[in-house]
Amino acid sequence: MNAKDSEELFLEKVQGILDHGTKNLGSRTGQRLEEIRGQALMAAGEKRSRFFPPRHWVLVGSFATVALAAVGLFLWLSPSPPPPPTGEIEDLEIITSQERIDFYQNLDFYRWLGSEDNHLRPNGKGL
Amino acid sequence: MESSLDSKEMMNRFLAEVERRAFQMAKFATRNRDEALDLVQETMLQFVRRYSIRPQQEWKVLFYRVLRSRITDWYRRTLVRRKILAWLGRPEEEDPEDPLQNLPDTGNPDPSDHVLRQEQRGVLEKVIRDLPLRQQQAFLLRAWEGMDLKQTAFVMKCSEGSVKTHYSRAVHTLRGLLEGNRS
Repeated sequence: MNAKDSEELFLEKVQGILDHGTKNLGSRTGQRLEEIRGQALMAAGEKRSRFFPPRHWVLVGSFATVALAAVGLFLWLSPSPPPPPTGEIEDLEIITSQERIDFYQNLDFYRWLGSEDNHLRPNGKGL
Repeated sequence: MESSLDSKEMMNRFLAEVERRAFQMAKFATRNRDEALDLVQETMLQFVRRYSIRPQQEWKVLFYRVLRSRITDWYRRTLVRRKILAWLGRPEEEDPEDPLQNLPDTGNPDPSDHVLRQEQRGVLEKVIRDLPLRQQQAFLLRAWEGMDLKQTAFVMKCSEGSVKTHYSRAVHTLRGLLEGNRS
C-alpha cells in the first residue's frame, strides 16, 4: 500500500467517525438547530415580503420591456403626418420669434416707406 | 423536480443539510456548545439575508464563508476577553459538556461498536480541537466537506497555496497523533 492509499484510508476513517458524531449530536442540540433554522427561514420570509420577490421583479421587468417594444413598434409603423404647407411654417416662425407682433402687422407699411424713401432720396442723403 | 420546489423549501433543505456539520465545526473552534449554536444562528441569519437570492450551487461555499468569518470574529473577541481575564487574575470559563451527548445511541444495533466509535470520536475530536484554527478549518473543509482547493481558498479568504500548506500540516499532525495514540 503506497502513501497515497494510506492517506485516503485514513481520511475515509476520519470522515466516518466525524459523520457518526454528527448523527449523534443529542436531541437537545438537534432541537435547538431546528429552532435556529426556523428563525432564519422566518427572517428570510420577512425580508422577502417587504418587496416583490425576485421572480416578480423579472415579471414586472418583462412586462415593461414588452410594453415599451409595443409602443415603439406602433410609432414606427404608424403613417407619418404630411409635411406642413410653407405658409404655416412662416406663421410659426412669426409666432415663435421674440419680435413684437405689431411689427409684423405694419410690415407692409415699413416696406412701402422704405421704397418711398429710396425713391425720394436716390443719393441716400438725409433731409 | 428541484426547480419546481418553493425557494423557501429549498433553503430549508439546504440548511438542514449543513446545520449539523456547521455546528460541529463551530464547536471544534469554540469548544463550547452554546457558543457554537450562537455562531450557527448568526451564520444562518446572515446567510439567508445576504445570499438567499444567489444561485443554489453557490450556497454551500457562501454559507461556510459566512461561518468561517463568524468563527474568526468569535476567536478574536475571545482572545481579547482572555487577555483581560488573565490581566484581572480571574480563571478562564470552563467548557460545559452536554450530558445528553454521552447518552447511548439506541439506534445502533451493536453496543460494542458504539463504544468503540465513541472512544475514537472522543480522541479525534480532541486532536482536531487542538489544531491551530486555520489548519482545523482547512482540514474540515477539504477532508470532511469535500471542497476543492479553490472553494476552500474562497471560504478561508486566502490563497490556494496557503490552503495546501494548512491542510498538509493538519493531516500530518492528525496522523501522527492518532497513530501514536493507537500504538
